[in-house]
Amino acid sequence: MGLLSGYVIYSLSFLLIYIALATILHLQFSITGIVNFGLVGFWGLGMYLFALLQTKLALPFLPALILACALVGMTALLLGRVILNLDGQAILVGTLAFATIIEYLTTTEKWATNGVMGLGTIKMPFDFGRSTDQVFFLLILLCLVLLILYTAKLKTSPYGRLLLSIKDNEVLAQSLGKPTFRHKIIFFTFTCILIGFFGALSAPLYNYIFPRMIGPGVTFTIWIALMLGGRTRLLGGMIGIVATVGLFDYFIETVVPIPTQYAEMVPNFKFALYGLMLILILMFRPLGILGDKKKEGVK
Amino acid sequence: MLKINNIRSGYGDVEVLHDLTFDVKHEIYAILGANGAGKTTLMKTIAKVLPLNGGEIHFKGENISGLTSYQVAAKGLAFVPQEGNVFPTMTVMENLSIGCVLQGKKSKKEKLEEVFDVFPDIYERINQKAGSLSGGEAQMVAFGRALMQESELLLLDEPTAGLSPKYVDMFFNKVKEIHEKKNVSIIISEQNAAKALEIADKIMVLNLGKIHFIEDCAKCVLSMIQEGYRI
Repeated sequence: MGLLSGYVIYSLSFLLIYIALATILHLQFSITGIVNFGLVGFWGLGMYLFALLQTKLALPFLPALILACALVGMTALLLGRVILNLDGQAILVGTLAFATIIEYLTTTEKWATNGVMGLGTIKMPFDFGRSTDQVFFLLILLCLVLLILYTAKLKTSPYGRLLLSIKDNEVLAQSLGKPTFRHKIIFFTFTCILIGFFGALSAPLYNYIFPRMIGPGVTFTIWIALMLGGRTRLLGGMIGIVATVGLFDYFIETVVPIPTQYAEMVPNFKFALYGLMLILILMFRPLGILGDKKKEGVK
Repeated sequence: MLKINNIRSGYGDVEVLHDLTFDVKHEIYAILGANGAGKTTLMKTIAKVLPLNGGEIHFKGENISGLTSYQVAAKGLAFVPQEGNVFPTMTVMENLSIGCVLQGKKSKKEKLEEVFDVFPDIYERINQKAGSLSGGEAQMVAFGRALMQESELLLLDEPTAGLSPKYVDMFFNKVKEIHEKKNVSIIISEQNAAKALEIADKIMVLNLGKIHFIEDCAKCVLSMIQEGYRI
């Protein structure tokens, strides 16, 4: 495993987490039509809760993970209860506001989170000496594979069809005897728990977390990636993340030799390029790089 | 089967239906009226898609006034709206299957066979996205899906609006056929009075949200002939 060591394995682990987040966004958006602009809120909440449980209460890995997920789930349930029966734009604003509140709370509640100073250090769940990072990478990979398999299965299952019908025409689904609000809220909570789960998994990777990490930039990066890759496709998120975060954050910053005086510009320049890519893809390939295998009659 | 007592309904502050009272037995009940008379509002109110502002609805002797649309559907009342009656991004097969998640007296396969028996045309299109169907085909899929629900009362909201005359004739024949074969009561709202008179047992004429008259179809046809109308 000489090749996959140090920074490379660390970067790849994050790439996998981002792919997982993009896949969950795809689940929420293309199956139930929920526009979640508060992705980073649930991710950050999972991350912070896990870190707090581990550092302040000294809980072991698994109980901390389960408790963090449960708390994220309860938050999602409460938020969903308030916003999910509103229309699309209101859900968008509501989730965005939620993420902002979480970011703000991590800054102000210094007694728990140490504010901008950050929280740490978060331990890995196991210790395999020098190959600990590799094993953790494999763990994340396993979770991602399971997530993708679940997504693929859901799309063809009767439950997936039910969720799809709610997205297509909620009033009609209701008059076919489906309690649409209940299904929406359950699915929203479940997917938010998944986001929180991957948030909790990111905490040991970062080792040390601080509020700036959970700014809205994460949400927008992943949304752009999903639009780029193909929001209606299972692997759209993966392709999009590789084309944005993978290409810019890891490939260009580490492999391409950029003169030191320009190196600082890369992170800023990156967002401009993301924007440009998004505009171009929406102009020339509105359904993303992967597009849609079966052309949809109505979109 | 369905008893409506003094219902009032509308959109927000605007009241569209004023104190309607009527009851529907096991029959084909046609609701006629011009545009804006309140036909669709009445249908939606019975299906509980719109909230009730007053009055009571009894279905099979049970007060359903306080239920939501999905609870009403579970009691055996299927509503086929005029617009947006199929799920456009799903295939015809999926559109039909989603109708049968609820009740389970017959197997899905049996029910599908029944639907294809009534509507052989949609069998050829089962793998097509419903959004790419023509208006008449979408109407048939919606009707088929309502049959999959095995409901006892079907509400069809202007099912023939925008269809070609050939489809209209066929559609009315299907409605009659389903009523007789499958023991389903049907409420159908319609602008085409002559066609409605052909199949209905009873008609109601709505005007500006009030009942203009309710009459047995046979009597209605008789009096029209006596007055010199040609049907």
